[in-house]
Amino acid sequence: MTHLPYIAGAYGLAAMVALWFGIGATLRLRRARTRLAAVEAARTRGGGDA
Amino acid sequence: MTRKSRRLWLVCACVLGLGAAAGLTLNAFSSNIVFFMAPSQVRAHPPGADRTIRLGGMVVAGSVTRTHEGETPIAQFDVTDGQAAVRVRYAGILPDLFREGQSVVAVGTVGPNGAFTASEVLAKHDETYMPKEVAEALRASGKWDPKYGKAPDAASWDTMTVKDARHDLAAARGPKDGQAE
Amino acid sequence: MSASQTLAARTGSLFHRFANPGRFLRLGARLQPWLTWPALALTLIGVIWGLFLSPADWQQGDSVRIMYVHVPAAWLASSGYMALAVCSVLSLVWRHPLADLAAVEIGPVGAAITAVCLATGSLWGKPMWGTWWVWDARLTSVLVLFFLYLGHIALIRAFDEPQRGYRAAAILALAGAVDLPIIKFSVQWWNTLHQPDSITLTGAPTMSTTMLWPLLICTLGFTLGFGAIVVARLRAAVMESRARALLSARRGGASS
Repeated sequence: MTHLPYIAGAYGLAAMVALWFGIGATLRLRRARTRLAAVEAARTRGGGDA
Repeated sequence: MTRKSRRLWLVCACVLGLGAAAGLTLNAFSSNIVFFMAPSQVRAHPPGADRTIRLGGMVVAGSVTRTHEGETPIAQFDVTDGQAAVRVRYAGILPDLFREGQSVVAVGTVGPNGAFTASEVLAKHDETYMPKEVAEALRASGKWDPKYGKAPDAASWDTMTVKDARHDLAAARGPKDGQAE
Repeated sequence: MSASQTLAARTGSLFHRFANPGRFLRLGARLQPWLTWPALALTLIGVIWGLFLSPADWQQGDSVRIMYVHVPAAWLASSGYMALAVCSVLSLVWRHPLADLAAVEIGPVGAAITAVCLATGSLWGKPMWGTWWVWDARLTSVLVLFFLYLGHIALIRAFDEPQRGYRAAAILALAGAVDLPIIKFSVQWWNTLHQPDSITLTGAPTMSTTMLWPLLICTLGFTLGFGAIVVARLRAAVMESRARALLSARRGGASS
């Protein structure tokens, strides 16, 4: 393959960005879901008005 | 509802106004936004000898001469836009894509004799993307010689697969191969 | 009468405020797998096709394969900003709360994909043009787009009161949308070092179909991936804001 370092650089960079944002979004979504569930559970247990 | 529609019209008016302002500005400065000048423009309005300009055009087939001055390679070639040609002299290594018939952009100054001394030569790629075999098949069939400019109408080749191209090439070379065997 | 109308509009927006994000969470949860998995599959197919199965270009050699990343990234840089502009109109005119959250979440993803576009273009430019960078109209206008994204990211987070940040960032995003037609038509309006578009609505693509197919698949895959990431971030943002609202409501309820 000609120009291999340039091609590897381009694909590597794109893969890194995709992984960073993909994993970041997944983790954040998971964290937000558990936190919301915890807050909602606390509210129903606390018996606050709906 | 009225408030919403008022806001909507306000936003529309602002975007239109801004767009018009940007359009007018770009129009006013369009000669400065142009990345390069064509040879006919350089011929018609020669810039001062101390002004660095970018000259863009196609390398004329058969005009390239390569010599050496000590260690540095010297290339001389004509750049044309179809109406006028400018002789370019460049000391240094040309980019990979440089060839006869290729579009290039040369950065440099115009001398008093009208010759262009380039400090940098950039190859300009065109919007044509084709496999090597297809390019060879087009050349073998006489439909296109890259030395003399752009590829033929895309519809005539863009669905040609590498296999088709190899087949065409084999057919074009058929008689010769037959003799050789 | 006008008083009652504004009251109606207010209750409407109040309803908007609470009902819509909930509907979005349900919709988003159903939509997510339809974005994520096709995105992964199509990107994988497109990248393998582009890297190993498609032919090398007759002039560029194998460096043409950078196109399979660069072109989708360029398309998403512009489309992402277009989405930001649409969110801004929704925010400025209809005060749609979901649009504000979406604008917050689209910004960083769009900036990153614009950076990928610029960097991969540079990595192609060095071996092909003979330079990493030139100040031609196409490259400069995309760099401006990148700075617009950065400005939007900074502005929308710059205020203590989020609503003011949303408003200011929405105005910036709308004003910056002027850059989109400049990017698109720069290669036609002015002569640039960057090549004109190979794929147009009017003519046959000046690209061999053996390269066009992987390019289209990569573009579709990247686009779905962009959508998947934005939807996931937006769902997370809605959940976070809901959790925050519940907590503050509880505290507010306790104090009053």
